Amino acid sequence: MQRAERKPGAGAVKPYLYLLPMLVFAVGFVYYPFLKTVAQSVAVVNFKGEMTGFAGLDNFRYLFSRREFTIAIANTLRLMGINVPVTLALTILLAWFSARPRRWGPVYETMLALPMTVSMSAITLIFKVLLNPTVGFVNYALGIHAGWYTDRHTAMSGILMLTVWMGIGFNYLLFLSAFRAVPEDLIGSARLDGAGPLTVLFRVQLPLISPTILYVACTNMIQAMMTSGPVLILTQGGPSRSTTTLIYLMYTSGYRSSNYGLAACVSLIAFAMTLVFAVLLIWLEGRKVNYQ
Amino acid sequence: MKKTVRYIRRELLPGLLGVCFGSLLLFPVFYGIMGAFKTPAEFNAYPPTVFPSSFGNLDNFRTVFIQVPMARYFLNSLITAVMTSTVRLTVAALAAYAFAFYSFRGEKVLFFLILGTMMLPADTLLITNYQTVSRLGLLDTYLGICIVAFVGASQMFMLRQHFMTAPTAVREAAQLDGCGDLRFVVSILLPMSLPVLLILFVQSFVVQWNAYLWPLLVTNSNSMRTVQVGVTMLTSIEGTNYETVLAGAVVAMLPAALLFAAMRRSLTRTMSQGAVIG
Repeated sequence: MQRAERKPGAGAVKPYLYLLPMLVFAVGFVYYPFLKTVAQSVAVVNFKGEMTGFAGLDNFRYLFSRREFTIAIANTLRLMGINVPVTLALTILLAWFSARPRRWGPVYETMLALPMTVSMSAITLIFKVLLNPTVGFVNYALGIHAGWYTDRHTAMSGILMLTVWMGIGFNYLLFLSAFRAVPEDLIGSARLDGAGPLTVLFRVQLPLISPTILYVACTNMIQAMMTSGPVLILTQGGPSRSTTTLIYLMYTSGYRSSNYGLAACVSLIAFAMTLVFAVLLIWLEGRKVNYQ
Repeated sequence: MKKTVRYIRRELLPGLLGVCFGSLLLFPVFYGIMGAFKTPAEFNAYPPTVFPSSFGNLDNFRTVFIQVPMARYFLNSLITAVMTSTVRLTVAALAAYAFAFYSFRGEKVLFFLILGTMMLPADTLLITNYQTVSRLGLLDTYLGICIVAFVGASQMFMLRQHFMTAPTAVREAAQLDGCGDLRFVVSILLPMSLPVLLILFVQSFVVQWNAYLWPLLVTNSNSMRTVQVGVTMLTSIEGTNYETVLAGAVVAMLPAALLFAAMRRSLTRTMSQGAVIG
């Protein structure tokens, strides 16, 4: 460490003392539960959460044999597959549009960022009413008769609209500051060379903000993978399991049915999937940069 | 003339367009607020409207506080949000202090051990944390609601970055003069870090205020529910209608939204910085 010689008190007890609370909480409520999840996934766990024996891969085998699980995986992947690109496209477009500071900029910038403060339960309740088949405004305004959360064909679309809405505010802000960090003269010289706004966007701005794109894609992917709140409030996984997500399944099997071994398997699979997709995204981004 | 055309093209039109986008995005929130003032008859009328006939109808808000103990929920949310933010920041500041001003064996390992907590999504740890909290006898307590949120790795990181801007010479001089850690922190470090601490506090507060899944999991009794959990109970009560649900939603989102509006500039800056580092 560069600062080492400037720092006093090498070998003292004090720094460990200051770190102690943080380490206790980090181990107790992050690392220990994670290891315990790993252990419980291959153990026989009773309803009290006590491990009474080794189960090998029985929990996983049982999980894979359940239709509920394959449906939950498919639903979660679908949520992720639509949520991530839609959120990216929307927030990048909005940030691109507002990149240049304008006199009325602060007004719409605040409006577009505001969704980040609205709590999940509040907006979920509002969507419940907004998309109500009879008294809701959306069906009337669009002149359709969709059942939304009460119909298994449209329930997931309703959840998707909600989750995309919730993700816009914060990601928009991130892209806005990324766009504004692109050096003005780079854009200027590209314009002098006769590049149109779209060429500038794809050849200059997007490559330069690609770290932010990667970051937003990753966090959004994790959020989509962890979707459970709206499902709990709106649909309870239904109708006919059309909105059962992985974390919702983990919640019901672990908390409601006290099947901790099964819940551990589900959460490990959710964790492994986020890891795989994160690595994939990082790899994709690295490849793109190399080709330029 | 040319100037006016230019102004319209470069300022006015994009500005209007931006406000249009913003209004479209915020329409659900707007619709919710308007709906909270409607009477049941207005709500069930066809065609559905957006605006209520008058803003004088506060019955729905009254109903919210009668149907569920909303005042108690507010108190619970307030207590847990303040408790979480306070402990989380204190713990993070202590760790940041150690990393910023000391060098010690295992420094790097411990640093990455703490940052590594951000790799494990809290939602995947819910069930095992529930078992821990249950075994500790903390179900249905404020501490049980807060304890899993005490680890603030990104807060620790930001505070460390901030502390490292403190002049080391000042600290060394203070130490030579027999000024202990405590006095250095109280009289030099805290005053200079107050703005950052305040922003991190507000950010933590908003996140905890809006938390849903964990508070739902660890609270059983109605008197321990937080606002976010309690307000969703409105939908399961027999005879509760849409306008009451909307009034509940408005009540639940108001404090965080007001706090955000009041501190928008500094908050958004810090939050985007925090995000970039992870």
